[in-house]
Amino acid sequence: MRHNRRTTPRRRRVRPARLRTLRKESMSTIQSVLRDTRHVAALALLAAVAACGGSGGADSGGPPTSQYLDSNTYSGAATASLASPNETTATSHASLTLNGTAIAYTATVGHLSALDSTQSPEASIFYVAYTADGAAAATRPVTFFFNGGPGSATAYLHLGSFAPKRLVTGIPATTQTVPFPYVDNSDSLIDTSDLVFVDAVGTGLSEAIAPHTNQTYWGVDVDAAVLRDFVQRWLAVNGRTASPLFLYGESYGTARVPVLTRLLETAGQRVNGVVELSSILDYNSNCSVEGGKPTINCAGFLPSYAAVGEYYHLATGATSDLDADLASVRSYADSTYEPDAATWLASGTLPAAGHVAALVAFTGLPTAIWDEQFDMDYDTFRHNLIAGTTLGVYDGRMSATVGSALDADDDPSNTFVDPGFVAEIKALLPALGYTNPSTYILTNNATIADWTFTHGGRALPDVVPDLSAAFSLDPSLKVLFLGGDHDLITPFHQTELDVARLGTGAPVALYFHPGGHMTYLDDGSRPLMKAELAAFYASATGAP
Amino acid sequence: MRNVLVLSALVAAAAAQATPFLDPGKPPAAAQQAAQAESRTRPASVGATLDSDAMAHLRASFDAADTAHRGSLSREEAQAGGFGWIANHFDAIDTRHTGRVSFDDVKRYLGSPSAGAATK
Repeated sequence: MRHNRRTTPRRRRVRPARLRTLRKESMSTIQSVLRDTRHVAALALLAAVAACGGSGGADSGGPPTSQYLDSNTYSGAATASLASPNETTATSHASLTLNGTAIAYTATVGHLSALDSTQSPEASIFYVAYTADGAAAATRPVTFFFNGGPGSATAYLHLGSFAPKRLVTGIPATTQTVPFPYVDNSDSLIDTSDLVFVDAVGTGLSEAIAPHTNQTYWGVDVDAAVLRDFVQRWLAVNGRTASPLFLYGESYGTARVPVLTRLLETAGQRVNGVVELSSILDYNSNCSVEGGKPTINCAGFLPSYAAVGEYYHLATGATSDLDADLASVRSYADSTYEPDAATWLASGTLPAAGHVAALVAFTGLPTAIWDEQFDMDYDTFRHNLIAGTTLGVYDGRMSATVGSALDADDDPSNTFVDPGFVAEIKALLPALGYTNPSTYILTNNATIADWTFTHGGRALPDVVPDLSAAFSLDPSLKVLFLGGDHDLITPFHQTELDVARLGTGAPVALYFHPGGHMTYLDDGSRPLMKAELAAFYASATGAP
Repeated sequence: MRNVLVLSALVAAAAAQATPFLDPGKPPAAAQQAAQAESRTRPASVGATLDSDAMAHLRASFDAADTAHRGSLSREEAQAGGFGWIANHFDAIDTRHTGRVSFDDVKRYLGSPSAGAATK
């Protein structure tokens, strides 16, 4: 059998113009979709809210058919180690109607052990799977979801994005109260794929198995390897090794998933498609992950600053067309701000006043702030755009008065959203039939401090080579990059710059929408993402 | 006045409560410093350099499977050593039909520009 090599060259650097064009196409597509779907989505949401009385709470949709009281105690401590894993699961059945078609599905909750090459247990991985009843295993895709951190459980993607039910947050407004309503999800991917939400070791209820400790799996390479072993075991145990396989990462999960993809392809397990939401492909190019003042050029952040400035009507150079404005800023960032910032980083020399004036007009951030910190980091930006106000890290559209309750964690976008996820995961697991005395660890601060970041011979990970290797092994593999215009920690243009390294022929698509890091929380953008995902799955599985 | 603004903001950020959890989080200082030193000599890879970085990952997997350190793998060794992809494509890679493939054979099959000329 002849290896089917790509015919288009893919080693040349993508011109920024191509990315602009891509974005333009995507925006015109999504705007027409938006026109078509906005009212339908709004009606469906109203119906869903009415059906469950608009109240919060677990509401699994059906009584569990098999309950499981898991008596193990799970810990996220670095030294923690599980003596004997439990693999019994709880299952329940429900139905979701999408576009007039009822989809009966089973929710499965529990642990499955990742096994090494000698079949010895490595870690007991907690997951929640939603699988459509009666689907053909050979053709029905299965998608594994991974949040990031490192140290984040996957409850964010599980409860907020494309599962059969989702939390209603109402962001960027901050009026919704906890518990957030948990409603049927008219944008669910369950019509397209089975969905498995996986917690990495030391998050959720996942823990290493003795003699290993959680620390054993706290590193870029060891984390991806244990998750490879989990994915392969889940596919084998569930008779799904022939199913089209998709991986979906968010945030640090977008570094985790390319490594995992390369490892699965190397092992001989084909991956059809990868979805990267709010990407950090290269820790060496993103100035938000540096401690202290940036030494990395922040030019990739400028279009996101402009989007946020435009949201607050502070960008005097803005028109009413966000997409067109961002195209201009992106071009300026590449041609002028990037070299200006490089000069400032090297010598402290500011550019001509006209260049600073252009940045002020793009963003609304005052001249003196640029003069003080010309290579603009997101912390300086979000604390100084509006006096006495803190803007969100994850969603710059969300703001809080300095010293207010919403400012307590220095990130109003996270402070507002997080309690709703904490409350719902606590209520949902028992409602799905799974009971356990341990606390589900939504975020584990210990992991980031203990994580081994070295990868590919670098002190901090760059996973573009992992994607390149995976494309070499599997020319059919496709990658979809999604993100929010107003995300200040993994800015969309930095993603474009990192992805451009793969060259012009790389099988990638990029779409960005109004919203933050958890772009799916935006009620306008989630339906657009769903439409893009459906088209992506069709193309990556060869469906017509 | 503007400098005061910047300073007061920095103070406000520092005065915030316990370090908020961030995703992606900031790696530890030692890793940051090592990365900064490295960045001066190793810019982000593109083109042939990116391919070389990609091949280095595959080479590491190849070497891990080559437990006998022979510099080549049989189909069975590739499968047992976790490089199932080589086992799945073995006949196409093993153009000389020797029953063993070197990493250079793999690179040549992948069309890597760093692959050496075929030896017969």
